[in-house]
Amino acid sequence: MTEIIGFRGRYMQVCPSRSPPISELKNPLPHFPKCHRASTVTSLLDHRRSDPLPLGAWNRLVVDASLHSRPSLGMDPPSLMPRLPEMCRFPMLGMPPPELVPRVGRIGGDASVEESTVTEQCGGSKGRRRRRDPPSSGGATEDESSKFVSTCSGNELAEAEAKRLKAIKSTDGNDNIKSEAEASSGICNKLAAQNPQTTEPPKQDYIHVRARRGQATDSHSLSERARREKISERMKILQDLVPGCNKVIGKASVLDEIINYIQALQHQVEFLSMKLEAVNSPMNTTIEVFPSKDFSSQRYNTTSSLAYSSQTREYEQGSGTEWLHMQVGGAFERVT
Amino acid sequence: MESKSSTTGNRDNPNRNLHGSKTMMASHFLRALFRIQQTSTSSSSAGRSRRIRRAAYASMAYSAGTRRAWSRALLRKLRSRARLRFPRRLSRAATPQRRDMDQAQVLRKLVPGGPSMDDCKLLEETADYIRFLTTQVRLMQTVMDSVSS
Repeated sequence: MTEIIGFRGRYMQVCPSRSPPISELKNPLPHFPKCHRASTVTSLLDHRRSDPLPLGAWNRLVVDASLHSRPSLGMDPPSLMPRLPEMCRFPMLGMPPPELVPRVGRIGGDASVEESTVTEQCGGSKGRRRRRDPPSSGGATEDESSKFVSTCSGNELAEAEAKRLKAIKSTDGNDNIKSEAEASSGICNKLAAQNPQTTEPPKQDYIHVRARRGQATDSHSLSERARREKISERMKILQDLVPGCNKVIGKASVLDEIINYIQALQHQVEFLSMKLEAVNSPMNTTIEVFPSKDFSSQRYNTTSSLAYSSQTREYEQGSGTEWLHMQVGGAFERVT
Repeated sequence: MESKSSTTGNRDNPNRNLHGSKTMMASHFLRALFRIQQTSTSSSSAGRSRRIRRAAYASMAYSAGTRRAWSRALLRKLRSRARLRFPRRLSRAATPQRRDMDQAQVLRKLVPGGPSMDDCKLLEETADYIRFLTTQVRLMQTVMDSVSS
């Protein structure tokens, strides 16, 4: 415990006293209470605003945030927890200069750049070990923090960071990242309203999702929320696919519509297969089983990829149904 | 087989590009139809329609490839020569209570490969399945029209 505090003390030492007053931040963050740790972080952010810091600052920030957000360490009052991860998202918001976003996004690429800065920030190996050892018991949030944290080890920074960030990206990283970002509640809700589209850095290294104010931040509800958002996203896609689904509201009725639609489609396949069988049978060459369609209502054009349709047209226009059998054979032959 | 590059007009979303699969679906289905027509001149009409239906689902699954869980399950079902089970028309009347709590279960019965998926994946596979099903139905209708007119 003391080591951590000591680390943080070092943290504060490293951040030069360029910290502008917190009142500067008051406008975007009306709820931002004063806390010396938080002020450290905001000072970093303010640096970013006025003078873009190297990416190491972002790492520092995340490290600090991860420290704060780890419940197993138990050192932080729970009031701090919501605040710090939201700092993580400041670069995503309109506050910092936009060039920082690509910087943040390049967190894997510029490993060498951060290496030196982060190394000095990470302090002694004790701090490193301390951060790495606690298992990521909290699930996704912990994973993210531990991932960022473990990159503090200066030696393997380059590969580790790249590896982990690739892991973040490649695995179902969206969920993890979302849940990490969702760990904070509160102020960022308002900022989210202002900057709804800045959730994704241009290089799409990770996606942050705004958490809503006052929602629980434990890992279970985080993953639950991520899961629910995935499901609602897919429901939206389904609603676009199924005609007439936009009119109903409510997951149950949408699902009903979808179920009905699938059943209708399957029945249609059966019906059409019976029809096709009837049309193709050699008995029906003289019988016109189905009312002849007028040529104007051709449905060829609606389905684009049928090669034979234009070719069989010349067949069908010329002959009657007694040639149906040969037409069909010819059409199929031509196609294949 | 020449590839059709004409636009459909209703499927211009980037993640719903079915052009390649439409071509494959059409060629596979037509080939299967031709085969059925040639080989089963004397079999019963029910058997032929069953075969045509099976060919429809086969071309659907074949053009979807093995990327999708539903197409894999469908191909498995077709290859094992099991009877393809489809919702009978009477079952709709048999279940008046439509708003059952286990809509996901109903959906799982409909979509091939359903029972072995979690809800999230189920919705994804449902969307893909619907896309391919609509394409297949449209294909069959076109074949129908061109053959009968």
